[in-house]
Amino acid sequence: MFIGVTGYNHESSAALVDKNGVLVDFYREESLSRIKGDKSFPKRSIKKLLDTNKIRIKDIERVAFYERPLSAFLHIIKEASMHMPKSLPLLTHQFRNFNRSSVSCYLDFAKFFKGLESKLIYSDHHLSHTLTALPYSNSKKDICSVVIDGFGDRSTASISQVVDPTEINELWECPYPVSLGLFYSSITDYLGFAINEGEYKVMGLASFGDSNSKSAKLVRGLMDWDTTSNKIISDMSFFDYHLSTSNSFSSKLEELLGPARNPFVQLIQGDSDFQRCADIARGAQDLTIYLLGKIFTHAHKITNSRRFLFSGGVSMNSASIDSLAQLPFVDEIIIPPSPGDSGCAIGAAFYCYIKSNYYSDLKISKPSLFPSRKEVRNDEYLTEQIISNEFSVLERDEYDAFLNAAELIKAGEVIGTVLSCSETGPRALGNRSLICDAKNKEAVKNLNTVIKNRSPYRPTAPAMKYEIAQKYYKLRPEISECYKSMGATCKCLENNLSLDFPTTHVDGTARIQIVENNSSLDKLLSILQPMGIDILANSSLNVSGDPTCFDLVDGLMVCSRTKLRYLLTDLGLLKRKT
Amino acid sequence: MKKIESELLIFYETAHAELASALEMLAASKLTDSPKQVFGYFMHAKDEYNHARSFFKMLSMRGKRASIETARNYRFTSPSLITKGYISDKGFLIDTMKLKDFIAFVYTNELLAKSSFENILTLVGNTTEEGKRISDIMRDELRHHGMAKKHFLNHYPALQPWQLMLYRTRETISNKGRKIYDANLKFLDRLLTPLYRAMAYIAGTIAKKLNLNEFKRDGKNLMNIPTNSIL
Ligand SMILES: [Fe+2]
Ligand SMILES: [Fe+2]
Ligand SMILES: [Fe+2]
Repeated sequence: MFIGVTGYNHESSAALVDKNGVLVDFYREESLSRIKGDKSFPKRSIKKLLDTNKIRIKDIERVAFYERPLSAFLHIIKEASMHMPKSLPLLTHQFRNFNRSSVSCYLDFAKFFKGLESKLIYSDHHLSHTLTALPYSNSKKDICSVVIDGFGDRSTASISQVVDPTEINELWECPYPVSLGLFYSSITDYLGFAINEGEYKVMGLASFGDSNSKSAKLVRGLMDWDTTSNKIISDMSFFDYHLSTSNSFSSKLEELLGPARNPFVQLIQGDSDFQRCADIARGAQDLTIYLLGKIFTHAHKITNSRRFLFSGGVSMNSASIDSLAQLPFVDEIIIPPSPGDSGCAIGAAFYCYIKSNYYSDLKISKPSLFPSRKEVRNDEYLTEQIISNEFSVLERDEYDAFLNAAELIKAGEVIGTVLSCSETGPRALGNRSLICDAKNKEAVKNLNTVIKNRSPYRPTAPAMKYEIAQKYYKLRPEISECYKSMGATCKCLENNLSLDFPTTHVDGTARIQIVENNSSLDKLLSILQPMGIDILANSSLNVSGDPTCFDLVDGLMVCSRTKLRYLLTDLGLLKRKT
Repeated sequence: MKKIESELLIFYETAHAELASALEMLAASKLTDSPKQVFGYFMHAKDEYNHARSFFKMLSMRGKRASIETARNYRFTSPSLITKGYISDKGFLIDTMKLKDFIAFVYTNELLAKSSFENILTLVGNTTEEGKRISDIMRDELRHHGMAKKHFLNHYPALQPWQLMLYRTRETISNKGRKIYDANLKFLDRLLTPLYRAMAYIAGTIAKKLNLNEFKRDGKNLMNIPTNSIL
C-alpha cells in the first residue's frame, strides 16, 4: 500500500493507492476537520485511511510528500532576499515559522504516525500534479503535461513530456516569482475576495465586464508572453506577494486601477463600483486565456503532442478551457477532478507506486470520481435521536426514496443529498449536492439565495445526461472528460432554449456536468426524464464559507442551519420538522 | 477609527471562538457512541454555529465602515482557527482529552463565555438589536452550562458538585493564565522583533548569494530525481 500526502502551504489531503495501482481511498483534511482550506498536517485524513481500510503502518510500503520542502522554502527566501529591507517582514516570518513549514513534515509523521517517517520520500510539486492527472487519461503514454499554479516548489508553470509513467521529462518552466496563478489571486484579493476561495467569483464576475474597457486593458497589460525567449513576463512592481505576508498587490496597482475593494462590502450588480470591478475581472480573465493559449501553443511546439494533461490551480479556471479546446492542434485535454494542490496527494501516492514497481508491468487504473470509502459507522444507530427529534423519515427503501425525491423536485423543491461515497474534488457531483429542477426559475433562485447565499455572479451548474447536453450546448469532444467533473464551461447552442435557463450565465455559457453512468444523479435523472425534467441544477451541499458536507451528520447539520427541508440519504428520504 | 478597530478585533476574535466551539461540538457529536450524546452535541454545535454567524454579522457591519486597509486585516479565513490557536494543531479536544475532562471543560467554558459576552453587551448596549441577540446568546451559553453539568453528574454520579467547582476554578485560573501568557508573548514578541529582523537581515544577505540554478530540471526526467532529497 502507498500513501500520498499534501499540506502546509495549501489544502492538505491524503490518498491511498494499492499494489495494483488502484486509488482506493482519498480524503481532504477540510472534509474531516470542517475547517475550509485546512492546510495543517493531514493527521485526520491519514488516520482515516488507516482505520477505514483496516491497515497498519507496517502494511504501508512507502509514503510520499507532494513537494520538496526545502526547495519551496529556499526559493521564497532567495527571491525575498533580493528586495530587502522591504521584504524583511516576510523573511522574518519565514524564518520564525521554519518549523511549521513543510520542512517539518518528517517530524510530524514521526509525531503522529510513528514508523511512517522512515518510509517517507519526496516528489516534485509539479510532478505530483502530473501524476494526479495521468491516471484519468485512458492512455498513460506519449502525452504532454501542462501544470500551472500559484507556486510549486521551484516554478509556477511547467511543461513536461510524459513518455511513459517512468519517464517524465521537464522541458519548460516559468520560474518564481512570475506567476499566472498568483497574479489571478492578487486580482481576487484586490477585488475584496478571499485568496484560494474567491477566484471563481472573479471568473464569474468577468462575464459582466467589457474587454475593451480601460480597466480591462490595463489589467490585460500586466503580463505578457515574450515570443523570442518563450517566457511569461510581468512587471513585478504591481505585486507584493513575493515580498509581503499580508499584501498580494502593491500600492502601484491601486494607483493604476483605483482603490482596492473593502472585503466586507458585498459587490452587487447595479452598485456604482460594479462595472469597474467587472472590467478588472474581465481583464484578468482575458489575460489568463491569452497566456494559456501561448503556453499550450509552446507545449505543442516543443513536444509535438496533441494530447494534454492540464492541472494545477489555474486549470480550475473552467471558463478558459473551452477556448483551449479550440486550438487547432488540440485533440484531447484531461483535467483531473481535483486539479489543485489537495488533489496532489493522489499523484504523490502514484509516485510511490511507480517508484516501487519501476521495472515491472505498471497498471494504473482510472480512479473513480467518488474515491472516498463509504463510512463504516453505524449511522442508522448513531443518528437515530437526531433524526427522530428533528426529522421525519418519508421513505426508507432506496428506490422509493429516489422516486419520492424526484416527485418533490418535480414539485419545485430543493433536495440535499448525502449518498454513498464523497467526491474527489472541490465540485459536488451529486453525492454531496443541493439539487433542483434546472429549468424552474423559482426553485433555482431558492437554492441560490434562500438556502445557499451563493455569490450572484456565477449561476449554478446544470447536470444532465450526455444525450440531453447535446440538445442544448455546444460540446467539444476534446474536453468531453472535463464535463464529467464540471471542469469546463460551454456555450449554449445558438437560438437555443438553454439561453433562457436560470443556470445559464450572462455570457450565454454554462458550467455543465455530464453525469457518470450509474451515479446518484444518473439514477435520479432516469426517474425524472419521463416526468419531463431532464436537467438538474447542482450546487455543493454546504453553508457558504464551510467545506462541502462529508458525512451524514454534516448533511443533517446543513439542513438544521438553513431552510433546506429535504435530505436524500443512504438511510432514506428525510424531511426536516418545522 | 480607533473605536472601530478595537471593536473589529473583539468581534473578529469572538467569531473565531464561537466557530471553534461549533467545530469542537460537531467533532464530539461524531466521536461519541451513544445516540443521545450524538444528539446533545449536535444541538450544541448548531447553537454555536448560530452564535458564530451572529458575530460574523456584527463583524461585517463594522468592517464595512472601516477603512479598506483596516478592514483587510479583519477578513476571516478558516485556517486561522488553527494558526490563532482556537483549535489545537494536535486535534480536537474530544480527540486529545479524557471524556470526563472534556465535559468538565465544556461546563466551565460555557460560563466563561457567558461572562465574556457581558463585556460585549456593555459595548453594543442592552437595548440595541445586537444587544438583544447577545442576550439570547448568553442565555444559550447558560443553558449549555446547565446541560453539561447535568451530563457530568449523570455520567459520574460519584462526583459531587463541589468537584465540578474545582474544575471550574482550575479552568478559570488557567484561562486567566492563558491571557497573561498571551500578553507576555505579545510583549516578548515586540521585544524580540528587532532581533528577529536583524537575524532575518543576515540570513537574507546570505540567501542572496544562493545559487538556485542547481534546481533547474530542464530536460531532466523528473522520475529519476532522488526520492529522499528534500531539495
Ligand atoms: Fe500546485
Ligand atoms: Fe457560544
Ligand atoms: Fe455554548
